[in-house]
Amino acid sequence: MSEPEYTIALEGVTFTYPGTDIGVHDVTLGIRPGELLAVIGPSGCGKSTLLKIIAGFVQPSHGRVIIGGKDAAGIPPRQRNIGIVFQTYTLFPHMTAWENVAYPLKLRGQDQASRRAKAVDILGRVGLGTQTEKLPAQLSGGQQQRVALARALVFDPQALLLDEPLSALDAALRVEMRDEIRRLQRMHHIATMHITHDQEEALSMADRVAVMQNGRLVQVDRPRDIYARPVNREVADFIGQANLWTGHITGPTNVDTPFGALTTLPHGRNTGDTVAVLVRPEGLLLGRGPGGVNSFTGTVTRDRFLGSFRRFDFEIGGVTLLGETGDMGEIAAIYIPPTSIQLLPETGSAQS
Amino acid sequence: MALATVLYLIYLFTPIVLLFVGSFGHIWFNTLLPTGVTLEWYLQVASDGSFRRAFWTSLQVCTLTCVIGALIGTPLAYAIYRAASQQVRAAARVIYLLPIAVPPLVLAFGFILVFSSDELPFLGSLWILVGGHLVLTLPYLLHTLIGDMRHLRLTEQELAAEALGAGFWQRFRDIVLPSLRHSLASGLITVAALSIGEFQLSNLVAGFLTRPYPVVLLQAFYGATGFACAATVVLLVLALAASAGGALTARGAQGVHGLSA
Repeated sequence: MSEPEYTIALEGVTFTYPGTDIGVHDVTLGIRPGELLAVIGPSGCGKSTLLKIIAGFVQPSHGRVIIGGKDAAGIPPRQRNIGIVFQTYTLFPHMTAWENVAYPLKLRGQDQASRRAKAVDILGRVGLGTQTEKLPAQLSGGQQQRVALARALVFDPQALLLDEPLSALDAALRVEMRDEIRRLQRMHHIATMHITHDQEEALSMADRVAVMQNGRLVQVDRPRDIYARPVNREVADFIGQANLWTGHITGPTNVDTPFGALTTLPHGRNTGDTVAVLVRPEGLLLGRGPGGVNSFTGTVTRDRFLGSFRRFDFEIGGVTLLGETGDMGEIAAIYIPPTSIQLLPETGSAQS
Repeated sequence: MALATVLYLIYLFTPIVLLFVGSFGHIWFNTLLPTGVTLEWYLQVASDGSFRRAFWTSLQVCTLTCVIGALIGTPLAYAIYRAASQQVRAAARVIYLLPIAVPPLVLAFGFILVFSSDELPFLGSLWILVGGHLVLTLPYLLHTLIGDMRHLRLTEQELAAEALGAGFWQRFRDIVLPSLRHSLASGLITVAALSIGEFQLSNLVAGFLTRPYPVVLLQAFYGATGFACAATVVLLVLALAASAGGALTARGAQGVHGLSA
């Protein structure tokens, strides 16, 4: 039998919590072998529910969960062979670091000597070779996180689920642990679902990013594609920095915005339609455009120096635009090339 | 604040100190403190048949109450903690806290009514005492255990263990029991202390040969002061020892699991 295309596949999965509309609705999603898929969305969007469904803690009312090519319906969590790292690490407080890591091996009937050797080995690989005899309470948050990762990987699970694993760490450690998780995930070549509400985390770590809103999957793409081509206003707003205005179509290449008319590429929309106009900060260029296209004069109201670039607020007739540039000179005018302008559905569901 | 604390401590410890002094005093009559030092009162207590019997009865009742309490209380606390519905948990809470609210006298009269019948002629037996002490002490044990389960977020730990491949009994043995070793110990200390000192219910349901120590102690106060003091100090020491014993038992029971991962 050949390896299935997806290590984990969800087909039209629906689950709502009893008596509410909260949950996930008709989600179809696949995680490829060795891939890190980030699931991102605001809190309450259903991303943690998705994890519980895959882990088997809750049963979907509709749809199928396929793990390793097999329908997982009726398979209890303990037989799914999936490693999970929870937000709160959930290390067992009465076991030392190595005992925690060795626990899944104990459950699989390995003898004490071999499970100890394996646990110590993998703890060494996450940089805790000298901490194996410590209890969780004696370890820092980052170290506990590493123990939890080691415990989720030590029994060679077929997939790894990470439930906001970095949210309890301080900022510097979080960035360090991103690389650490990615390194381990690559080393084990394990299909991984990483749940997070931190878009920077998702964009910097994942092979693909799935964006959820109100229990529905709205877009799944590579990080740069999500950033470059969001499907609607909410995704554009949620992923990266964005200038977003409500605009009205006035012609085949024209849109009206609160600060003036813009010329776009041919957009194929009907005159009079309401759209969301997206321009990323780096899409604002300094000076006047060729032939004066989409050029505006105004004033810089805030200027943030961020080392290799600056992020500035540029006010045009009461509307503030966010821009980014490496040019540290005076800014008296800006222009927006038509290629930098995207028109998106104002709200709601994804385009076809 | 400091003054209040000092006054409180004096109020708390003066009777205990006086008991000690009195138990070693030879003659204590119309004076502030007794005169002369003697071990006579302790020897008298030790050689008194009814006190010796009461001493062993109390130890037996306390030990049985602790062991059975732990065996019943741990699964019961777990069941209440894991109960799916909020209403079940609330109802369980009310029921298990009821024995604290109901005066032991009421409970004792109930026991007398039920267990003096021909079908259940157990009044006066050792087991009726153990049963009564269990009812009175279980709420404290359950309260301690359930509080600790919440504090430890046992549900999350079990979820993690389940995902790692542990079935119910494996989780109970490897995660639940070892996690609860501290609260079980402190809960059993309370149970032991309450059981040793229990008077109201014991006085009514005990038989002549199964009177626990506090019940027999009451009679000491009709005799010599020194004897009463010595007998009371013995109870105090017994209560402290029972508490320590309860704690050690819990530790020992947990040690079996705590060491193996």
